[in-house]
Formats: sequence, structure tokens, C-alpha cells
Amino acid sequence: MSSTASALRSRLPHAAPRLAQAALERARLTVVPRRRTTAPRVPFVTFVSIILLAGVIGLLLFNTSMQQASFRATALEKQATDLSAQQEALEMDIQELRGPQRVAQAAQKLGMVIPSTPAGVLHLGSGKISGHPTPASAEDSIPLATPGPRKPASLKAKTVKVRADGAPARNR
Amino acid sequence: MQIGFLLIAMVLSVFAARLVQLQGIDPQDYAQMAAAEGSQIVTLPATRGEILDRNGEALAETVDGRMIVADPAVTAAVAPELATLLSDRLGVDYFDTLKRLRTKGSRFQYVARQVPASKAEKVVSDVAEKFKDDKGRPFAGLMTERDPLRIYPNDEVAANVLGFLGTPKNDGSAQALAGLEDSFDRYLSGKDGEARYQVGAGNQIPLGDNTVTPAVDGKDVRTTIDRDLQFYAQRVLQQTVVRAAAESGIAIIMDSRTGQVLALADYPTYDASDPYEYTDELYKSSALTDVYEPGSVEKVLTISSLVDAGLAFKEQKFRVPGQLNRQDRPIGDYWDHGTIKLTLAGIIAKSSNIGTVLAADQFKRGQLRSYLEKFGLGQQTRVGLGGETKGLLPKGAAWTSQVGDRIAFGQSLSVNALQMAAAINTIANGGVRIDPSLIQGEATTDDGAKVGSDAAGTRRVVSADAARETMLMMERVVDPDAGVAPRAAVPGYRVAGKTGTAQRVGKEGRYDGSTSVSFAGFAPADDPRFTIYVVVHSPRSGSGGGSVAGPAFSKLMSYTLRRYGVPPTGAKPNQTPVEW
Repeated sequence: MSSTASALRSRLPHAAPRLAQAALERARLTVVPRRRTTAPRVPFVTFVSIILLAGVIGLLLFNTSMQQASFRATALEKQATDLSAQQEALEMDIQELRGPQRVAQAAQKLGMVIPSTPAGVLHLGSGKISGHPTPASAEDSIPLATPGPRKPASLKAKTVKVRADGAPARNR
Repeated sequence: MQIGFLLIAMVLSVFAARLVQLQGIDPQDYAQMAAAEGSQIVTLPATRGEILDRNGEALAETVDGRMIVADPAVTAAVAPELATLLSDRLGVDYFDTLKRLRTKGSRFQYVARQVPASKAEKVVSDVAEKFKDDKGRPFAGLMTERDPLRIYPNDEVAANVLGFLGTPKNDGSAQALAGLEDSFDRYLSGKDGEARYQVGAGNQIPLGDNTVTPAVDGKDVRTTIDRDLQFYAQRVLQQTVVRAAAESGIAIIMDSRTGQVLALADYPTYDASDPYEYTDELYKSSALTDVYEPGSVEKVLTISSLVDAGLAFKEQKFRVPGQLNRQDRPIGDYWDHGTIKLTLAGIIAKSSNIGTVLAADQFKRGQLRSYLEKFGLGQQTRVGLGGETKGLLPKGAAWTSQVGDRIAFGQSLSVNALQMAAAINTIANGGVRIDPSLIQGEATTDDGAKVGSDAAGTRRVVSADAARETMLMMERVVDPDAGVAPRAAVPGYRVAGKTGTAQRVGKEGRYDGSTSVSFAGFAPADDPRFTIYVVVHSPRSGSGGGSVAGPAFSKLMSYTLRRYGVPPTGAKPNQTPVEW
């Protein structure tokens, strides 16, 4: 392609020398004068400012929400602690109520005793009862109160008398 | 102009000097101070492990607790009203509290310790509300601090085994004082963790420094104790000791096949939730710490050893005189008799000392001792409780022929109750002794020993045939005609057992006329499931093992068989002749 173009150019002066010269003269490149365009600055500045502002506000909001979440977390943690303490207290109550001592007391109040003889065994296949089941009697009741600590007399709690206004009464 | 520059230079050099001071001389210190400002370190306390019974019921557990602390500088003004409220709500002593609330020159006084958290917080917030100042600000005289609370929901039940935690040390760590709490203290305690974070106005700063070393909670100790059975055993033991006007008692219930201790009862005992009300002599498990002479229960070991060595059999005939004169003093039986004709089974059934000594004459020197040693006498059982005694089994020159005679019927040697229960259980378990265990699975004591049912070893002591023959003789003990302890029988079941009455060494270190009566046995005799041993120390005179410990054995065995659903085997008791 370039070879045909250069061939064409070399042939031109012979074909139309004057005309071509003029055309060439005219076709010579000249510097294009710079076009001074004034891009509108306002939208760009606004755009950047908006981004900046949005960033700052976003960060602020994010931070605030994090803080808020942290407050909430602290409050919830406290609530959780309170609730688990409450749960523990309730579990303690349950254990107190389920303890063998308490159950035995309640049962004995209803007139129940733990039998001191083994139960009979009912064999499901034959319907026979083995062993010597005997009904429990009042004899089988067990002591429910323990004797409690034995204390020397010197450790017995002293009775302190006070006057109604709160001052300890004087020995008279 | 130049003066101006000079001034600037001077100011800058002051800054430079300060910079050098800050960065050059001790930067670490300042960095730490900066970090400490606004950063908070919180100890994350490890939760102490629970002690459970075999079914997972808690015997000891830790709950969140608080100590309530007063600032007397603030509380002095309202002391009487505040003390009234506190003694009402917390049960603290009014006068003591009043004094504390008024303490001069102090800013820190304990009001109550180890109060359950929810209760403590409620009381403090109620107080803060009630005693507001004129400007409506809440009252600031009471504060709470963490103070974990160990609770023993079953009070006296198994207290002798559990032990308890005393008032915490000053650094807040628990102070184990007895029982399993003490011997497994490290295993139960775990390791405290730590959290470090930055705070602003009481709230954690998000994205601030935050490091957490989590706490390692203590491990649970699961015992082989059955809580309800333990309760029943303690109450039956109490009834037995009180009715016999005795000093103390021990009851042990053991699974014959596994050696696991289902109940280990002591009387008198204490309340683990209120231990300081009791004397510290009670903070122990006397089944392990106290020794005594076992008396005739030990004859079972002598006779089974004789049978195992091929030196005797159950129908073997003996002529038993009324008195047997040996070197130092005559040996007698507990009842007066002329010369009677007893079989070996009769010697056990009637519990004849003379007959046992005559039978034991067959032993070669050292033979009985080596059997008794294999039965576990003279050695700790190592179930995981501290303070256990080894008991005393004479050896070498101390084993004279007179001592040997007396040991054959259970005197002149001393045992602890668990040792003896494990020895009798050897017969129940077909001649194989299985180490007793109090811990299910395995746990490590503070001494580094691994104990528990997984670590329990077994060893054959007597042959299965010898164990069976001994069982048949022991069955005659509860026979209403042939034996001495018909009240130990369990209706409908075959029971094998042996009574014991031994002279007791009193506080002065010599026999003081008091006795230890006991009954050891197992049921069903032909397929043993449970071994029970009841010992009563110093009952009113004239009581014997059959009349005092026998009925307690029968009650406990009935309850245990019923509780674990063991049907009678249906076989009839054997009728080996006791006389000829």
C-alpha cells in the first residue's frame, strides 16, 4: 500500500506538475490554533464535595451506629447477666424443692412412709408375683429432723434487749 | 525580627527537650500509662466444676454470688434504718451490721458475703432507691462485688464425702476445706481468663483494642453416690444409732459387681451448707479416716481363706469347748456353753471364736496374713478422699501365735469400714476383689493420682468355689433357727451375711468396755448385686451385731433391691447343717 502511494507521488509531477504543486502547497500541515474550552467547574466541585460530605457523614453515621450498638450491647449484656442470675436463683429454688429431705417431709406429712421390705415383682408373662410384698406400716417412718449441731453453752446466742428508741438498755 | 526568631528557637528547644524526655528516657512507661488510661482489664473467672451424683443430680454447684460492701462514710447517717432493712432482707445480724455501717475512718466494710446475685442486686438497688438524697440522686453507700457462691442443695446428704468450701481467701479464690472439694480442688477449679478492652463512659469502644484470654472452666466430678439412696442410708443409720444409744455409725452400700460405692453414710455428720455451726471433728468421712477392730465379720475372710487353701469345708465337724486355753489368756465365746458339736458352717452361723481359732490352726505361718493382705486389709483403698488410714495388720515379729489367734476372729487388727466392705464384697463377687470406687469414670486428685471406676483394678483372692462355699455358710447366719441374725433377713430374698461384735479401743487408747457392732452382707446370695456394711460404735451394753446393725442392713438392702428393681432369684436358702 505504501509502495503504491509513493509510486503515485513520484508519478504526479510528471502527470500534472503545476496543479499538484499548488495542491501540495495547500495541503501542507499547519499548527491548529488551541481551542480554549472552559469546562464548567461547578458540577465537578459539587460532585467531589458531595462525595466527601457523603463519606464524612457516612463515617459519622457508621461510627454513631457502632456506638449505639455498643451501648445496646452493654445494656443487653447486663440484661443477660441479670437474667442468668435470676435463672440460677430459680434453679436453686427447684433444687431446694426437689431435694430428698423436702420430698420425704412432704410425703410423710401426707402419711406416706418408705416401706422397709422389698416390693413384690409382678411377672408380666405369667401374671405371678414373686417375693413377699408386705404393706408398709407407721413403724417404717424414718427420722426427718437431724439433731443439728451440738454447741457448748458459751456459744448460745445471747439475747440483747434494746429500748424502743434504739439505744441499748442499761443494766439497772 | 531576630528577637522573634530567637524566641521561636527557644520555644522549639523546650519542645525538643520534652520530646527527648518522653521518647528517649522512658517511653515504655508512658506508653503503658496511655494504654491504661481508658482501658479496662476484667478477670474472667473460671466456673468451678460441679460434684454430681451417679444420676447427674448436683451435690455441689457454683452459682453467681455477690458480696455487699458498705461505705461507712455514707452509710453512718442512715445506719439504724439501713441495718433494719438489711437484717430483714439478708438475714444478717442487726447489731453487727449497725456497728459496721458506723465504723469511723473506714470506707470499706463487708455487710454480707456470698449472697445469690439476683437477691444482692435487688437489695442494693432497692436501698439506692429508698435512701435517695435531697437532690434525688440514688444512695451510693452500698456496692456489690463478685463473690461466687458454692451451694450444697442437699445439706447433710453426702456432706461427709463432699466436704465444703470455706470463706474465700482474700484474693477471691476458693478455699476447699474437706472431702472431695479438697482432694479434687485443682481438677474442679479450672483456670481464670482475662479480657482487656478500651472503654469510654462505661461502654466498650468499638474497634478499640480488645484481647480476650478465655477462662478454662473446672471439670465436673461425677461420683458413684446415689443421692436418694444416700439420704435414706443416712436416715436409717441415724435411727439405728439413736435407738441403740450409740456414739456413731457408718453404713456403706456397694455395687457387688463393679465395686462402686452407692452410699457412704456417717452419723453424726454435718450440714455442708452451714459447716461452721458444727465442730470440725465432723468434717471427715469416718468410713475412711477412722479405724476399729472389725470383730467377727472378719471370720468370713478367715474361713474363706481356709476353704480356698483346701484346709476346711463347710460340713467339717468341730468339737468346740466352752473355753480355749491358749498361752496368754483364755479365749471364750460370747455365750456360755459346754462342749458343743458344730460344723464349720455352724461356727460361722453361731459366730464361735473358739471354733474359728480351732479351724485357723490349720494355717501355715504367714498364710492367713497373706490372704488378708490380698483382701485389701492394711492398705488404703485410694478412692480419692484425703486422710484415709491404712488400718493395722500386724506383721513379722508382731504376729505372735496369740495375735494370730485373735486376728482369726477379728481382734488385734484394725481396719477402716470401706476396706472391710471391699473385703466382704470379694466373697460376693465370686472371690475376685474389685477396688472400691467413689468417682465415676476417672478424675485426677491434687496428688496426681488417677482414681475412679475406670481405674479400679481387680484381683483374685480366693477361688470361685471357695467364695460360693463361704456364701452358703454366711447364708446360715440369717436363718431364724440356725443363725444369730434373723433380723437381718430380707423377706423373699436369699441373703448372706455376718455379724460382728468387737471390743473397742476408747479415747485413752485401751479397751474401755465399749463395743463396735456390725453387720456385713450381700443379696441376692446366689447372684449378688449389692454388698452392705453397717457399723455402730459404742451402743448400749448388751447389744450385738445381729440386733442393732442387722435390722438396719435389712432395711437398706430392701430399699436398694427395690430401687434398682432386682427380682428375687426364686431359689430356696440352703440348709447346710450347723451341728452334728
